[in-house]
Amino acid sequence: MVENSPAPLPERAIYGFVLFLGSQFGFMLYLVWAYVPESWLFSVGLTYWPQKYWAVALPVYLLVTLGIGYILLFGINMMSTAPLNSMHTITDNFAKSQQQKKSQEEAIPALRDIPISEVNQMFFLADKGICNRN
Amino acid sequence: MEEGVYRAVSGGRIALQRRQYSASCREFSVRCPRLQLRSLSAATCSVWLAAYGLFVLSQNSMVLSAAIFITLIGLIVYLHFVKIDQESLLVIGSLGIQMTSSYASGKENTTFIEMSQVKDVVINEAIYMQKVIYYLCILLQDPREPHGVSEVVPLFQSSKPRLDCLVEVYRSCQEILEQRKT
Repeated sequence: MVENSPAPLPERAIYGFVLFLGSQFGFMLYLVWAYVPESWLFSVGLTYWPQKYWAVALPVYLLVTLGIGYILLFGINMMSTAPLNSMHTITDNFAKSQQQKKSQEEAIPALRDIPISEVNQMFFLADKGICNRN
Repeated sequence: MEEGVYRAVSGGRIALQRRQYSASCREFSVRCPRLQLRSLSAATCSVWLAAYGLFVLSQNSMVLSAAIFITLIGLIVYLHFVKIDQESLLVIGSLGIQMTSSYASGKENTTFIEMSQVKDVVINEAIYMQKVIYYLCILLQDPREPHGVSEVVPLFQSSKPRLDCLVEVYRSCQEILEQRKT
């Protein structure tokens, strides 16, 4: 699919402008509903509005949801971290089912997931000179 | 018997004691940082201040007695169930691996793993509470698959030594584990 680039296109310009007009209109409508007294609105003929209580309540609900959302996201992250005794810290399905290719002479070995025992031996049992090269 | 002072992940001082009983039998004991007097007095003061605040509000003197009981019982429960004093690992080459945790009240918890179930002892790294820590763990063999791992048993969970201490224990354990292949 070649059409997934974020480049500006004429259709996207029209979408953007429609969104801009719509959001400005929505904001003006919200201000009119919140500030203009009910008697004025009734005299014009617009009688079927929600209670003005919601003009204050909805933004408060939104901000509280935002605040709780930060804490909730942090908590969800902590809960989905694998515990220390879980198998997911060692391996996963892709590593278990990887194919073992035979290593050829004089060729770069194929990319593979090295088991943790070998990694440990390389890091901690090999001579210290190799590890301190960096 | 050798003893060394190292640091835990949290920064407290821990002591590692290594004993060699025979060519294929070694024991490693890690002594956790002691219960600090300042944290104990801080906890006690906060509980008692809160109780005094409640007493001033409600004028009920039972709140003060309840606070004293709560502090005493809380301290006993903490020492018996939570505060681990020493964790030790006994590796017997032909038999198995035994882990012992002794609590501050004297209680001891022991777990034994047979050598045929042990695949390897490795140092693994994982995310723990907004940190990445190294910890020693025993990989248990999967009976159905010769190269598979069925379970991971983390060691030294309360003392959480840092990498320098873990490398010492790892090298010692690997010397014993190598012998069982030959």
